Amino acid sequence: MRIVATDCGSTTTKAILIEEKDGVFRQTFRGEAPTTVEEPFADVTLGVANSVTELQELSGYKLIADDGTIIRRKNASDPDGCDLYISTSSAGGGLQMMVAGVVREMTAESAKRAALGAGAIVMDTIASNDRRKPHEQIQRIRELRPDMVLVSGGTDGGDTKKVIEIAELIAPARPRPRFGGEYKLPLIFAGNKEARPTIQRVFSGEGFALSVVDNLRPTLERENLGPARERIHDVFLEHVMAHAPGYDKLMTWANAPIMPTPGAVGDILQTIAKGRGINVVGVDIGGATTDMFSVFGGVFNRTVSANLGMSYSISNVCAETGMDNVLRWVHLDMDERELRNRVKNKMIRPTTIPQTLEALVFEQAVSREALRLAYIQHKSFATTLKGVQQQRTVGDAFSQKEAGGSLVDNMALDLMVASGGVLSHAPRMEQTALMMIDAFEPEGFTELAKDSIFMMPHLGVLASVNPRAAMEVFEKDCLVVLGWCIAPRGEVRAGRPAFDFTLRRTNEVVAQGQLIGGEMRLVRFGHGEVGMLEVRPERGLDMGAGPGEPVTREVRGGTVGIVLDARGRPLKLPTSAVERRACVERWLKALEVYE
Amino acid sequence: MAKAYTPGLKVTARTTYRVRRLLPVTGEVRVKVGESVSAKTVVAQTFLEGDVFPIKVAGMLSVNPAELMPLMLKCVGDSVQVGDALARSKGIFGMMKTEAKSTATGTLESVSESTGMVIIRGAQTPVQVCAYVAGKIIEVIPNEGVVVETDALFVQGIFGVGGETWGPLMIAGKSHAEDLREEHIDASMKGAVVVGGARMTAGGIRRAREVGVSALICGGIDDADLRDVLGYDLGVAVTGSEKIGITLLVTEGFGDIAMAKRTFQLLLAHAGKMASVNGATQIRAGVMRPEIAVPLGEASSGEIFTGGATAGILDIGTPVRIIRDPHFGLLGSVNALPEQPAVLGSGSKARVLEVALESGQRVTVPRANVELVGD
Amino acid sequence: MVWTETANRWQILSIAFILSVIAQGSFGAIATTAENTTENKLSTSSNVSLNELSQEVTAPPAALTITGADVPWDAGGVIKVSWQPVAGTTSATKWIVEGSEVVEAGQGPWILVTEVPIAETSAVASKLNVDSAYFFRVTAVSPNGSSAVTMTKTAVRGHWNFFIGAKMPLFCAILFVCGCVIYFILAARRGQPMKVRRIAALEAIKDAVGRATEMGRSILFVPGIQDMDNIQTVAGLTVLGNVSRTAAEYDAAIEVPTSRSLVMEAAREAVQASYLAAGRADAYNADSIRYITDEQFGFVAYVSGRMVREKPAACFYMGCFFAESLILAETGNSIGAIQIAGTAESSQLPFFVAACDYTLIGEEFMAASAYLSGEPDQIGSLKGQDLSKAIAAILIIIGVVLATGAAIAPQSVLPAALQWLKGMLGS
Repeated sequence: MRIVATDCGSTTTKAILIEEKDGVFRQTFRGEAPTTVEEPFADVTLGVANSVTELQELSGYKLIADDGTIIRRKNASDPDGCDLYISTSSAGGGLQMMVAGVVREMTAESAKRAALGAGAIVMDTIASNDRRKPHEQIQRIRELRPDMVLVSGGTDGGDTKKVIEIAELIAPARPRPRFGGEYKLPLIFAGNKEARPTIQRVFSGEGFALSVVDNLRPTLERENLGPARERIHDVFLEHVMAHAPGYDKLMTWANAPIMPTPGAVGDILQTIAKGRGINVVGVDIGGATTDMFSVFGGVFNRTVSANLGMSYSISNVCAETGMDNVLRWVHLDMDERELRNRVKNKMIRPTTIPQTLEALVFEQAVSREALRLAYIQHKSFATTLKGVQQQRTVGDAFSQKEAGGSLVDNMALDLMVASGGVLSHAPRMEQTALMMIDAFEPEGFTELAKDSIFMMPHLGVLASVNPRAAMEVFEKDCLVVLGWCIAPRGEVRAGRPAFDFTLRRTNEVVAQGQLIGGEMRLVRFGHGEVGMLEVRPERGLDMGAGPGEPVTREVRGGTVGIVLDARGRPLKLPTSAVERRACVERWLKALEVYE
Repeated sequence: MAKAYTPGLKVTARTTYRVRRLLPVTGEVRVKVGESVSAKTVVAQTFLEGDVFPIKVAGMLSVNPAELMPLMLKCVGDSVQVGDALARSKGIFGMMKTEAKSTATGTLESVSESTGMVIIRGAQTPVQVCAYVAGKIIEVIPNEGVVVETDALFVQGIFGVGGETWGPLMIAGKSHAEDLREEHIDASMKGAVVVGGARMTAGGIRRAREVGVSALICGGIDDADLRDVLGYDLGVAVTGSEKIGITLLVTEGFGDIAMAKRTFQLLLAHAGKMASVNGATQIRAGVMRPEIAVPLGEASSGEIFTGGATAGILDIGTPVRIIRDPHFGLLGSVNALPEQPAVLGSGSKARVLEVALESGQRVTVPRANVELVGD
Repeated sequence: MVWTETANRWQILSIAFILSVIAQGSFGAIATTAENTTENKLSTSSNVSLNELSQEVTAPPAALTITGADVPWDAGGVIKVSWQPVAGTTSATKWIVEGSEVVEAGQGPWILVTEVPIAETSAVASKLNVDSAYFFRVTAVSPNGSSAVTMTKTAVRGHWNFFIGAKMPLFCAILFVCGCVIYFILAARRGQPMKVRRIAALEAIKDAVGRATEMGRSILFVPGIQDMDNIQTVAGLTVLGNVSRTAAEYDAAIEVPTSRSLVMEAAREAVQASYLAAGRADAYNADSIRYITDEQFGFVAYVSGRMVREKPAACFYMGCFFAESLILAETGNSIGAIQIAGTAESSQLPFFVAACDYTLIGEEFMAASAYLSGEPDQIGSLKGQDLSKAIAAILIIIGVVLATGAAIAPQSVLPAALQWLKGMLGS
C-alpha cells in the first residue's frame, strides 16, 4: 500500500508519502513546493505536482506522469505510482463563513460550532440578541464577503418568527460572495423544520443557492451538528473549491473529498481521542491565526483566534495582552520602544526569523501570550449546552451549578499536541515544552507532544479512508513525544515543600526527590522509556486524586523528559520585576531551556 | 544551489504601470479606450444600493402579522418619507385608530406576512472611481471599469496608512538620512506629496496634517507616533481605509531608519511632477504594498508592471537590505551563499548568507532576513 | 500507617471537641442554672464558717464614712453608694443600705435599697427619681445585733445624661456598620472592583429567556401572592425588571399573572420601563400583565391551568409564596420549563430547591437588585452590609466559645470575659 497525501496551504504545498512495510504503515518521505493558486500560475495542481515530484526524487518511485498527473498503481507489484491520493486545502484564506441563529448563546452558537468544526473561519455571527439594531446587522452582512452562509434558529416545532426575521434581513442585504460575478452565494438552512417553506420562499430570489439540512438543534437539549457539517463540506467542494483555480482537476485526482485543513486536523484528533480513550487538546499557531482543538469526554470543539499569530498578527497579540504581559516571561534586559518597533517590523516583514537569542526569547514570550489568549477563547467557547433544564435535589441548595460550563478541564487533560512554526521549529524541545506549560498551565499528569512536520491534516483525511493507517502513522511518525508535565493544582507556598516524587522503572528507582513551592525541575527520561511515577502532594495540592492524595501513573519518556512544576495553579508570577526576572531565570535554567 | 528566491520591493526609475480601476458593483464607464486622463478624472460611476431600514409595523399596531396586508397604506414600490403613515389599524368601532409611521426615507421594498416587518430601502448613494494616475485608457471593461496605463517612476513602500491621493512631488530636507521634522514642512506644501529622508517625527506629522499635505513619504516611523496618529494600536497590517486626512508611507520600516539612497534620489530627480500615492497595505494572502507612481508620459518601455509583490533571485553581488535585528536596515551586497544550514545565535539552524555591508563589514544572516533592493 | 493513626486520633479529638462545644453552647441555659446552684452552696458553707468564727456578743462597728455619687453616662436615677468599713475582723454578716429622698428640704422615709455581704464596700441604688436628691445610710448587721448608722453628709442626685454609657458599644457598632457601607459605596464609585459572588440563579435568567425565544414559547413570571407592602414582592419586581429587559432584547413574550391589583400596576410599570430601556417600546403589551384574583387557590388554579395549556418555556417565581409553591413548581417541572425561584419564606425553600432549576435563597433574593443592576451605590452598600454581617457572625462564634468555656471552667477568666462581652453588646 502506498499513499500520497498533500496539504495545499496558502503559501506552501506539502506532500507526504506513506507506505505499508511488513504490515505497518509508516510515513517515509516528504516534499514541499510553493502553492500555485494565485497568479501567474492560477492552478493549484502545479504546486501539488511539484511537491509530489520532490517525493518522487527522494523515494525513487515514479509518482508523476509526463502529463503532470499522479500515477495510480494497477496492482501491488507495480513499481510506480501510488494506491491512494488524498488532499486538504486552506489556500486562498480557507473557508470563510457567516453564521446566523436566533439566540446568540444557543442556536447561533451551535451554528458557529458546526462551521468551525467543519474547518471554516467564522467572520461574524448574527443573532437576534447580538445587541445590534437590525439595520446595523444588515450593514454588517453587506460588508462581509463570505464563501457561505449557515442559518439556524428555533428548535423543531419551536420559534419560526425570529428565524424568518433573520432570513429576511439576510435576503435583502445580499451579501456579496468573495468570488464575485455570477457566483451564487451558497446558503445552508439548518433550523426549525417548520420554517423551511417560508425560508425557501425568502431565498427564492437570485443570488442564493439554498440547501436545507436537519436542524442542528432539534431540541435545546440536543445538538445535531453532523448533517450541517457534512453539507458544509459538500458545498465547499461544489461551490467554493470549484471556483478556485485548478481545484476541479484536483478533485478528480483525489480518492477522498478534499477537506479544509483545520477540519482534517480536528478529525484526526477525534480519532485519536476515541481510539485511546483520552482527552486531547491540540494547537496550531500560525502567522495570522491560532487554531485550538479539544476533545473532552468525546465532545469535539474547535476555535480559531483570527488575530492571534506570530507574524502577520504579532502586533495584535502585543496590543491585546499589553507589553507588560509579554515581558513578564523575559529574563533579559529589553528596551520597550525598540521592541515595539521590532514587533511592527515583524508584522510588515512576516517571513523573517529571529537571529539572536534575545530575539528568540522575545518571540517565544509573545507566543506564550498568543497561546494563552487563544486558550482562554477556546475555554469560553467549548462549553456544555445552554438553555437546558436542570434536574435538582434538595442537596443542591447551596451548590447550583450553571448550565454552559466549560468542558475544558486541565486536570482531566491527558495529551497536548502542539504544531505551528514557533512551537515545532524551536531550536530546543525544552523551549516548546515550557511555552506550552506556561501558556496552557496543564494540571496533574499531562503528556506533551508536537506534530513533527505538520502531518495531522493529511492523516485527518486518511482517517476517513483508512483509519488504521492514520492511527499507526500518527503514533509512530507524526507525534514527537516531548515528555510529561507534572503539576499540582492549588496554591503553593514559596519555600515550603509542594510534593515528593519517585520515578521507577520496573522496581528500580530512577529518580526521586522533593519539590519546593515555586520550583521547577527536569528529570531526563528518554524516548521509548516507560516508568511508573508516584507523586505525593502536600495538603491542599491536588494531583488528580483530590487534595493531598498521592497519584501513581505510567509515563513515557520523550525528547525533553519529565517536567516537575511546583509553581502552583493558577500560575502566579511575582509582582516585583526584579523578583520575577530571578524566578523566570531560575525556571529557564532548571529546564535547560536556552543552553 | 547558489541562488535563492527572496522577496523584495520594487523601486524602478521607469516602468510601464498599469492600473485597473473598477467599480464595486456594475455601473457606467465614462471614458473610451485611447482617451488621456488625469489623476482626478472620473472614469466610472454607479449608484450603490441604498441602506435597508426594517420597521416592525405589526408590532407598532399590535396586530397579527398575517392581518397586516389590508391595513397597509403604502404599497411595495411606493416612495416613503420619514413620518409618513405606513399602515393604520382598524381601531374599535372606527375610533382609536393607531398609525405606524415610517422612521426612514426611501422606497418600500417588502412587507412580510410572517413577521410583520416592512423594509424600506434608502436612497442610492453615488460612487465614483477616478483614474488615480495620469495616463491613457488602454482597456474598458464594460460596466465595471477601465485599465489605465502610463510610464512611471514606481516605488513600492513597505507600509502605509491612508488611501489614494495625489499631488506635486516636493522634497523636504536635504538628505536621505535626515529625519523629517516640524521645520521641514511649510505652508507651500499644502496638497503636495512630500518626501522626507529618514524617520518622520511626531512633530513633522503633526505639522504636515495642519498644513494639509496630501501624503508624507519617509524611510521610517516610530510605532508610538503611528499609534498617536491613528488613535489606536494597529494590530494587523491591513490598512488603506483610515480617515486621518493624510496618507503616510514608509519605504523601509519602523524605527530610526534612513530611506534607501537610491529611492531618495529617484524621487528627488522628479520633484515638482504630479505623483499618485496609495497607502493601502495588506500583508496576508495576496500581499499589497503601498506605492508611489510618478507618471512620466506615454508608455514606451517593454516591462509591464501591474502591482503586487515581487520576488527576485539572490546571487553573489545582489544588493540586499537586512530586515531583522541585530543589523536591521543595513544595506550591502551578497558576498557568499553557503550551501549548508548554519546554527544561529538563537540556536536555530537555518540557511544563511554572508552580506558585505556598505561599511565594509561582513555579517552572516539568515536568508529569510534579507530582501532585494533595486530593480 | 503511623501517620494515618495519628490523623484518625486527631479527627476523633476534634469531633469530640466540636460536639462538646455544641452541647455546651446550646444548653447554655442549663449550664447557667448549675452555676447558680454552686454559688448558693458556696455561700451557705461560708455562712457556717462565719458563724463558727463570731463568738463576740457585741454589735459590730459602724462604717467610718459613706459617700454617694451619680453614675455617669446613664438615663439618671442611679447612684453608687460606697463606704469605708472599720479595719480588722468583724462578726457582721451584711450591710444594709437604705436611702431617703429629700422632700421639700426635709427627709422622707428611709427605704431599703439593698443588702450586701459584709465584704462589699459599695452598692448601686437604681430606679430612683431622676435629678431628685437622696441621702443614704449604711448599717452593719451581725447575728448579735446591728451597728450604728453611718449617713451621707450631703444629698446626692442621679443626673440624666445625653449619652448612655452602657450603649456605647452599640453606638460604635452602628457607626462602624454605617462607615463600612459608606466606605464601600465611595470605593465602588471610585471604580474599585467589587467582587460579588456569582449567583447562578440570576446568571441563568438569560438561559431561561433564551430557551423561551428558541422554542417560540412565552415566559411566565409570578411575583408571589402578597401585596406591595411585602418586601419580597418588591424584590420580586426588581427581578421582573431584569427578566423583562432580557425578554425585550430577545424579543420573547412575557406573561405576569398577579393576585393583587397594586402588584399588577407596579409590574406594568416595571415591564414597560424595561422595554423602553431596551429600545423596544413597540413590543410592550400591557395586557400580558393581568390581575387574576386575591384568592390564594383560585390564583394557583389559574396559573397551573395556564401553564399546562400554554407550556411556557421559562417560569419565574419571585416573591412571597406559601402552600402554592410546590403546586406551581411541580407543574412547571412537568411541562419541561426552566424554572427560577426566589423567596425568603424558609418553609417553602426546600420545595423550590427540589423542583426548580435554580433558587434564590433569602438573602440572595434580597441582594438580587444590587447584583443585577451593578450600580456602585447598591453594590457598595451590599458589601458594607456583608462585612457587618461577617463581624456579627464572628461575635456569635466568640460568644458561643466563651459561654462554653465558662461553663467548663467557671474558675477561669472566661466567665468574666463572657460577662464583659454581654455587657458590651448591651444585654
